[in-house]
Amino acid sequence: MSTRITIDPITRIEGHLRIDVEVENYAVSNAWASCTMWRGIETILRGRDPRDAWMFTQRFCGVCTTVHAMASVRAVEDALKLPVPANAQYIRNLIVIAHALHDHIVHFYQLSALDWVDILQIPKADPAAASKLAETISPWTRNSRNELKAAQDKVKAVAASGQLGIFQNGYWGHPAMRLSPEVNLLAFTHYVQALEYQRKALQVVGMLGSKTPHIQNLQVGGVANAIDLDSQSALSMDKLEQIRILLSEVAQFIREVYLIDVCAVAAMYPEWFKIGSGVTNYMAVPDLPLDSNAVAYDLPGGVIMQGNLGGVQPFKTASDPAFREAVTEDVTHAYYQGEKPLHPWQGETEPQFTDWDGDKKYSWVKGPRYNGKPMQVGPLAQVLIGYAQGHPLTKKYADLALGQVSAIAKVNASPALMHSTLGRHAARAIRAAMLAELADKHWQLLVDNIAKGDLTVHNQPVFPSGEIEGVGTHEAPRGTLSHWIVIKGGKIKNYQAVVPSTWNASPRDESGAHGPYEASLLHTPLARPEEPLEVLRTVHSFDPCMACACHTFDPSGRQIARVKVL
Amino acid sequence: MSKKITIGGIGSVLLGDDGVGPYVVGMLEAGYRFEENVTVADLGTPGLDLVAHLSGIDALILIDSVKNGAAPGTVTLYRKEEILRHGPAPVRMDPHAPVLSESLLIADLAGESPKDILLIGITGEQYEVGTELSDAARNAAADAVIQILVELGRLGISYSQLREQPFSAWWKPLADGPLAQNCLR
Repeated sequence: MSTRITIDPITRIEGHLRIDVEVENYAVSNAWASCTMWRGIETILRGRDPRDAWMFTQRFCGVCTTVHAMASVRAVEDALKLPVPANAQYIRNLIVIAHALHDHIVHFYQLSALDWVDILQIPKADPAAASKLAETISPWTRNSRNELKAAQDKVKAVAASGQLGIFQNGYWGHPAMRLSPEVNLLAFTHYVQALEYQRKALQVVGMLGSKTPHIQNLQVGGVANAIDLDSQSALSMDKLEQIRILLSEVAQFIREVYLIDVCAVAAMYPEWFKIGSGVTNYMAVPDLPLDSNAVAYDLPGGVIMQGNLGGVQPFKTASDPAFREAVTEDVTHAYYQGEKPLHPWQGETEPQFTDWDGDKKYSWVKGPRYNGKPMQVGPLAQVLIGYAQGHPLTKKYADLALGQVSAIAKVNASPALMHSTLGRHAARAIRAAMLAELADKHWQLLVDNIAKGDLTVHNQPVFPSGEIEGVGTHEAPRGTLSHWIVIKGGKIKNYQAVVPSTWNASPRDESGAHGPYEASLLHTPLARPEEPLEVLRTVHSFDPCMACACHTFDPSGRQIARVKVL
Repeated sequence: MSKKITIGGIGSVLLGDDGVGPYVVGMLEAGYRFEENVTVADLGTPGLDLVAHLSGIDALILIDSVKNGAAPGTVTLYRKEEILRHGPAPVRMDPHAPVLSESLLIADLAGESPKDILLIGITGEQYEVGTELSDAARNAAADAVIQILVELGRLGISYSQLREQPFSAWWKPLADGPLAQNCLR
């Protein structure tokens, strides 16, 4: 007999992720991922000036603001075949990196660590022992007994108040929680410290983009930053130096805390390297262009099919024909009209809502496919595709992380373990460490280029009267993002955004193949089906971001999730 | 030292009345001048990055659309305890869902939460995809500006009013060409 569990957080937002799983003998036997709101925000762009599109797309999502701005200007530049000055590439790259570092730190500590860390164990910890333990795995100077004790006191104070505040809804004491009190304390201490470092990363975005969360400095054809090394009102040497210091502080936190914590937690839950694999087709696009015409990149892209790393197919450019011709969106199980899968340039968005029906239509998310296949995107795809191509920077941090896990768990952690829930967390930390190192490089590239006397930041776009098409891609924190634009007579005729979470949260397609969230949940063991912590662990490992949506505050407290056992 | 204040508008300018928070911020920026210690920001639809905007300040004034059963265009004031009365969402599936209460609780935990918090809630009428406010929300935006000025007075913060100039949002619907909402159905 099977039990159906629906995890449907009824929040004030209209659009969110809903997961339905069937459970048999304490394991997931079937799964559906659905989104409960129609986005269709792209329709707002029709008829507008393509040079303004990025300001609107930046509002698609409050968390992924800059990534939608980047993909949008790149889409228009691709349509126009407009090169971007080197300075503009480096400034954009630094914003991309700083935003991603902020995003990854927040994801691990604030949004998913408490799936693994049991807050209620912390009062039992011995801060001195925890500090000693930390010394054996990291040179981080803020693991002192005093610092750990202060963090422990915060938890004790919250517990003593009888109001658990931010912690009131965790699955504390769940049998799947297994860290020692000391490791719980260390992780929580870093949870608090992470708030400081994610803020430093955001400061960099604000300094280069002039505002955060919505950057103001982009233009189709480049950026609007005035460069004058001696002027306080422009991008000066003073400002660049502040940016360098902030980025190096964040880099240190990632190397000495984030990467280490992920490895330590992973080493304590080794069975989670065998859970949550799912779709092992992976895709990533190249990013961080190194020159004006974007022919060389610091981050590689490509595809891996069925987990076969040896058969990796690289993408040469960010708009590689192998990518631009292969993407379609399937609406067999999505609430839209239409029969066959369509390419985004031909994409239609005609809603056809029916009730949730797992055999028919059940999601507002379309099913993006690559040559008809579901693909997993995100840091795991990024790291595996780099690793398979022998990309030195990927190998450096992936081998470091696997070595660290092996040392702590006293096992031999091989790259094959990466196809898993913990693999996704490890890959995100590996990617963050890579980006942190590249921040330094792109800062230097910018400074050196300015020192040569090149102050160009912008090429003027000119629009033809006929119809043109373009795709702008960005390998965002959650994976491959692509914006597809059709421009006619200098106005937007069609616009489609295929976002990372639609690849991962995609419903089944016409062949019945599961999307990545769905596939990853199959066979997951559940200790207590009525408290499906294990489902959340795997879903959170993808870092879903569905609520590109409404933030209306509901003071009545109707923010109840339904964890419904049917 | 003078108090540091952040006035933040929350909401999506692409979803009808959800954009009223950023609209109020636009009105403030167009019509008033504040001292350097006052930050006026369109915060969009933040996730936990909201925490970064809460630290190091003495007072926070947020403007957001609310669903509270009142008539569209009603302006309701909430203090911290009312915002936090029901705590964080029990299950966070999508870790980026809106997080005002969570952000405040996390800032509290880090000892960085501002002492004075006021949420100015505007009851919206419609949240369909589109870049225009309902008449009710647009009228309420003017009331919200007055509430902000009252709160600044209470906090002892001075400001000056610029010569009256109507605020025109960059995200407003196209004058010629299709209105976004007409494309939908």
